[in-house]
Amino acid sequence: MKNVLQWNPPEGLTGVEVIYTVQYFIYGEKKWLGKPECKNISRTYCDLSPETSDYEHQYYAKVMAIWKTNCSKWAETGRFYPYLETQIGPPAVALTIDETSMSIVLTAPEKWKRNPEERSISMQQIYPTLKYNVSVYNTKTNRTWLQCVTNHSLVLPWLEPDTLYCIRVQALIPGPPRLSPPSEKQCVTTLKDQTSAMK
Amino acid sequence: RCSPSMDTNPVKESFQGIKGAIQTKDTLKNVTILSNLHSIKPLDMCCVTRELLEFYVERVFKYREKLSLQISRAVSSISNSFLALQRTVQPCKEHNLCPCSEEATDATRNINNNYEELEVQSAVIKSLGELDVFIAWIDKNYHQETSTA
Repeated sequence: MKNVLQWNPPEGLTGVEVIYTVQYFIYGEKKWLGKPECKNISRTYCDLSPETSDYEHQYYAKVMAIWKTNCSKWAETGRFYPYLETQIGPPAVALTIDETSMSIVLTAPEKWKRNPEERSISMQQIYPTLKYNVSVYNTKTNRTWLQCVTNHSLVLPWLEPDTLYCIRVQALIPGPPRLSPPSEKQCVTTLKDQTSAMK
Repeated sequence: RCSPSMDTNPVKESFQGIKGAIQTKDTLKNVTILSNLHSIKPLDMCCVTRELLEFYVERVFKYREKLSLQISRAVSSISNSFLALQRTVQPCKEHNLCPCSEEATDATRNINNNYEELEVQSAVIKSLGELDVFIAWIDKNYHQETSTA
């Protein structure tokens, strides 16, 4: 739930020094609030994660452009609801392998934290219906199969020995579905078939 | 406790299409209708759900003709979905599994008071604009119930 406000510079002002000021509003509260780190800035983004970290609330943000002695109207966002609009990241994936099976352990991503000391909150706690799309690619047969799982671990039995398999996993928040980018591809080779090795 | 399976996807799909338009019409940022839903206790969930489904059907969706055709059509679809959700919750009441504590009654009274403090058109638009809050609350609470039961 890292929430960054981004905007485009006003048209027709190339080469002119433009600075910006951002304000945000917590829906149901009384007034617009400023963020000192985003007052009179020249960059075109402002990280509002700390200000919008309560994902059960909704927010608005607005930005004004200032150049020479002019200032623009406020450009305002729609109502932003982090709980329903955040983009989830991929899970962490741990693989263990033997001759004919693979065990996959998935760890849901964590919520954005103000600082490392802050208590970690798993996205699984926030979204109990979180699921995972596991993609398994057999490099020998060049075939991929997909499996949708709701818990954190699964075992893939009946794999072929001495075969390279590649795994990618996406996290999925149901209705309206939000799919994470895929995790880094991880490839492992199943062990050689010990029985044939001993002949 | 009663925790029926609540299919909210039809509502979400219809609402997604009008969210931007309806929330833009709501210019009263400093006022909310569905305040403090996340402080409702599990025991009160069924009662508050039933009361809010009725609130929307009786006090909000009825005024959809005052809105644009596109929004009004979506609201009709949402209204039908709410009738289905009401039928889902109804058995809970029939089996006396949907008690209303004082706190639940206060919570729904507050919501109705918030509505009444506004002029009808503004109240209807604001309530419609907060449908995502209500649906997210149902999803969060009714899933957790069914998965841990």
